[in-house]
Amino acid sequence: MSLRQWMRGGALRFLMVFWALAVLVPHSGASAAEDLGTLVTELGAASLSKKQAVVDRMVATGAPEVVPILEALVGRDLYTRKSDGVVVIGQKTSGGKLLLTDPLTGSEVGTVGSREVKRIKTNNRLRSSVKAVMGTLTLMSPDPQRRLEAADGLLKSSDQAMLPLIETALAKEADAAVKNALQLAKASIKLQSDSAEERLAAVQSLADRTDPESRVMLSRLLLKDGDVWREPDEMVRATAGKTLASMESRLEMWRTVEHLYQGISLGSVLLLAAMGLAITFGVMGVINMAHGEMVMLGAYTTFVVQEVFRSVAPGLFDWSLAVALPAAFLMSALVGIAMERGCIRFLYGRPLETLLATWGISLVLQQTVRSIFGPTNREVGAPEWMQGAMESVAGITLTYNRLWIILFSFCVLGAVLLVLKKTAFGLQMRAVTQNREMARAMGIPTGRVDAMTFGLGSGIAGIAGVALSQIDNVSPNLGQAYIVDSFMVVVFGGVGNLWGAFAGAMSLGVVNKLLEPWAGAVLGKILVLVAIILFIQKRPRGLFALRGRAVES
Amino acid sequence: MNVTGRASYSESQLYVDGVTVSFDGFKALNNLSFVVEPGEMRAIIGPNGAGKTTMMDVITGKTKPDEGRVIFKGDIDLGKRDEAAVVALGIGRKFQRPSVFENHSVFDNLELAIKSDRSTFACLFDRLDADRKSKIESTLERIGLAGERDQMAGKLSHGQKQWLEIGMLLVQDPELLFLDEPVAGMTDAETEATVELLRDLRGERSIVVVEHDMAFVHALGVKVTVLHEGSVLAEGSMDQVQNDPHVIEVYLGR
Amino acid sequence: MSLLQRLYAPQAQEPGKGRLASAVLLSVLAAIAVLVPLLNLTVPADSAFHVPTYLVSLLGKYLCFAMLALSIDLIWGFCGILSLGHGAFFALGGYAMGMYMMRQIGDRGVYGNAELPDFMVFLNWKELPWYWYGFDFFPFAVVMALFVPGLLAFVFGWLTFRSRVSGVYLSIITQAMTYALMLAFFRNDMGFGGNNGLTDFKDLLGFDLQSDNTRAVLLAATCVALAGCYLMCRSIVASKLGRLITAIRDDEARVRFLGYRVENFKLFVFVLSAMIAGLAGALYVPQVGIINPGEFAPANSIEAVIWVAIGGRGTLYGAIAGGVLVNYAKTVLTGVIPEIWLFALGGMFIAVTLFFPKGLVGSLPAAVDWVKRRIGKRNPPASSSLAEEPGQ
Repeated sequence: MSLRQWMRGGALRFLMVFWALAVLVPHSGASAAEDLGTLVTELGAASLSKKQAVVDRMVATGAPEVVPILEALVGRDLYTRKSDGVVVIGQKTSGGKLLLTDPLTGSEVGTVGSREVKRIKTNNRLRSSVKAVMGTLTLMSPDPQRRLEAADGLLKSSDQAMLPLIETALAKEADAAVKNALQLAKASIKLQSDSAEERLAAVQSLADRTDPESRVMLSRLLLKDGDVWREPDEMVRATAGKTLASMESRLEMWRTVEHLYQGISLGSVLLLAAMGLAITFGVMGVINMAHGEMVMLGAYTTFVVQEVFRSVAPGLFDWSLAVALPAAFLMSALVGIAMERGCIRFLYGRPLETLLATWGISLVLQQTVRSIFGPTNREVGAPEWMQGAMESVAGITLTYNRLWIILFSFCVLGAVLLVLKKTAFGLQMRAVTQNREMARAMGIPTGRVDAMTFGLGSGIAGIAGVALSQIDNVSPNLGQAYIVDSFMVVVFGGVGNLWGAFAGAMSLGVVNKLLEPWAGAVLGKILVLVAIILFIQKRPRGLFALRGRAVES
Repeated sequence: MNVTGRASYSESQLYVDGVTVSFDGFKALNNLSFVVEPGEMRAIIGPNGAGKTTMMDVITGKTKPDEGRVIFKGDIDLGKRDEAAVVALGIGRKFQRPSVFENHSVFDNLELAIKSDRSTFACLFDRLDADRKSKIESTLERIGLAGERDQMAGKLSHGQKQWLEIGMLLVQDPELLFLDEPVAGMTDAETEATVELLRDLRGERSIVVVEHDMAFVHALGVKVTVLHEGSVLAEGSMDQVQNDPHVIEVYLGR
Repeated sequence: MSLLQRLYAPQAQEPGKGRLASAVLLSVLAAIAVLVPLLNLTVPADSAFHVPTYLVSLLGKYLCFAMLALSIDLIWGFCGILSLGHGAFFALGGYAMGMYMMRQIGDRGVYGNAELPDFMVFLNWKELPWYWYGFDFFPFAVVMALFVPGLLAFVFGWLTFRSRVSGVYLSIITQAMTYALMLAFFRNDMGFGGNNGLTDFKDLLGFDLQSDNTRAVLLAATCVALAGCYLMCRSIVASKLGRLITAIRDDEARVRFLGYRVENFKLFVFVLSAMIAGLAGALYVPQVGIINPGEFAPANSIEAVIWVAIGGRGTLYGAIAGGVLVNYAKTVLTGVIPEIWLFALGGMFIAVTLFFPKGLVGSLPAAVDWVKRRIGKRNPPASSSLAEEPGQ
């Protein structure tokens, strides 16, 4: 189709491209640009047959103002004012009048009735050639967005005459996205070529891509019109088929990578929420149903800290999270210690009662927060460095906030492991986990260790709340949304084992996200829950269960 | 090993054959073998961690052996059976910590234990018949708890709970009885009474007593098996094992 | 013995007192079944003795909750299995009854489709899903209200008890079960009305659900069902099986080593309990006029557990009393100061586990005793000081 156009366009096209090239190549020796103002006036006066030449000269000036003028010409909005013969751009107002603007400066020069101006005449042929010329003009725009639009336009028109222009532009282009679009346009144009070799080269040039446009382009080659292949050459077809298949498989891989990323991201959130639970459950055998509320308290602490920053030191807002982290840890840890000392310690050895009492505490905490902050979501801001996203080749976006949370959760895991393995408190804690009676006999203050352990577990939950405030709504129900999942992580991974919690969180997160594309989010989640319920039947003590007599008693 | 090498086990009450159980690489039982004859009373002793409890767990179907087998009455393999099936075959077990149903009366404890149809619906519609009732009454006499018949089991003394648990095993009519530390926490008088009770049971059925209390084992005057690190260290009369250099080393050497 | 020691001491079985409480409970139920409908239907509205219709429905609702509490008590109070998923069985029973009433609407729905319920027409469904077949037949729906929860409990329990999952693990996975069901029922393509659930019911067995007569009959039916379930549970608890399940609660290993297949006993009680919960749900839905996936929310199930804890677990009448009392308190409190309800509920959880582990019914005798002795101690000096006064 574009070939026919090309034939019709004839020599005029050549000229156009020539001019365009002249513009594209700086310091090409062209004489000093003519005055645009004079040219515009000339355009108004020139006869239809001469107008093309004037347009070409305007283009040759390389001035950015040319584009709106030509747009107006094509859109039949370019007029000469009858009173003084000045060329103006006219836009219809609601009152049926015309709002006139100066074509060079864009400033308004009055409103007139439609009789007072005369439209500058154009015909189809002129308009289409001007349109094409405009494409080349915008390709040179300093604004990458404009260049991208132009390149996309070239892809759509796929005009063979543009090929040299595209080549030159490609050589100059620095912006990856524009370059990408230009390459696509080039391949698309080359696929129209009469030479099978050219077409084959075009197909091969697409080999590294995975974008939908190139996939459509290739799959078109494999279509038949009735009994006739659209692509006559068998070699080209075979290559296209192969290229397409490899594209699909690469795309599939990238999609998997994206799901893995999302899975790991979800997993790290679960890990943050479940880590504290693994500690309290593991060391004390306490099911803390208010654990989710510790997370919520952390999130609200973040909110409060940010409010303080906003009102006191707005300039330091990016540092608010650095303050929120210890604040949230302290807040949740203190509430946790109060809970342990005030309630849970009276219920040791009665896990089911503990479960009920902590549920009661969770209700009280929720309602307290609801009374203070209201039932609606509170907005927690993100510092600059957590905003935005990383875009990769195959249209996969990796948001920075999730990336940070993944890193953060690993850091917290590392820190907690260090505390458990390297500090005296950690040693005491592990001693109490393994044999409470013996630890007490050795002079370890088990009561204090319990309180501190509970504080540590709750504090980690508070930290998790800071992270969650960056990706989720901060509302009094925040904790409830994560509690079932956190329990599943702990139960799945095996109680009292941080690596178990890690493995549990990551596998749940990843499996959830891998299931999502074909099962949907909700069904995927249901499947995971059912799988865990079934899994617990097989391994009642979780993935990394301790085995032996001590555990069973 | 001075215990292997018997020609035929077909008449034995219990034959533990090369049983190995490991927990996370730790071998709780290591190629353990011994034989209990019908009607025999046997004492098993050993330091903490010698594998006594694990041994009973394997025999009573709680833990599955990694290697080896446990043969009951010459031809029944216990390795694949669960606790209920093992009990149904006629093996009873008393726990180290006295475990009776504290919120039930002494009589009810025995009623729940007495040999009867164990299926769910049979229990739903069960009515105690005269035979079983008289058997419970006679057992109450035998374990000296007739006076506490309607007392809540939770209110019994420690020794009485031990006896009640033994009574609960007796009404099951087991052929083989495992008693884990039956005199732990008992006063001397209670221990003596227990020795009497066990001597009285001798010959009626095979009994394996696992004990720490050397005086008690001595008083029983039966063949003793010494376990150490999951296998048999020595076997023989109390006097024999007490003079065994291996045993002396294990008990005194640390 | 201090008050606390008395509270924690094992519960003595005193058959005489149990019988008295049963008699009181059954006569109260009989009185509600007869008197409340009578006072609602025959006494004129301006009389002081008139019972308004909303109260009839409210009472019916409380009694359904009491039945749910009864079922939880059977499994938790007697067998020691803390199920945090009984709301699921209740909701399933409710859905079964809701499906029947949906079918009863016929072509009186908004879209006037005789074949399909409104929400299916809205979703552009062409035909009734197979699992809706039979629900236009009342006895079938009733059987399903019992069978479906029973089946779920059977499958879940069979898998779980056999692999000896117990204690908090079991509680957590029952919670996961009801959570998963909630998510599932929220989905439109499950065919149960999604988010909105089933509602806009018109009539039951041809009787208008809005009429006072129907509501009175429903209340009476709830009383009868509750009394029936109570008597059944009581006879089970008194049987050898009943004593065995309490034995399982207290010392599972011992029961196992007495040769009982503990998992079968647990399974029996669990399934039975689920069916009672299902029946409660089936009676609940026609009286409140709606069933939606919110009933599956884990919070609902755990709230029902606290009714039992407050009433007194291990005593069947205690659970029933707890179910009614807590819900009455909820109605009153949410009516007066809505914000305070969650504080009160949370406080109840904490107080009952810390201070009254045996609940109201279990603590009442001890408390009465304690008060009596307190008064007994205080009285003599009080009278002596009185005696001195005239001398001054």
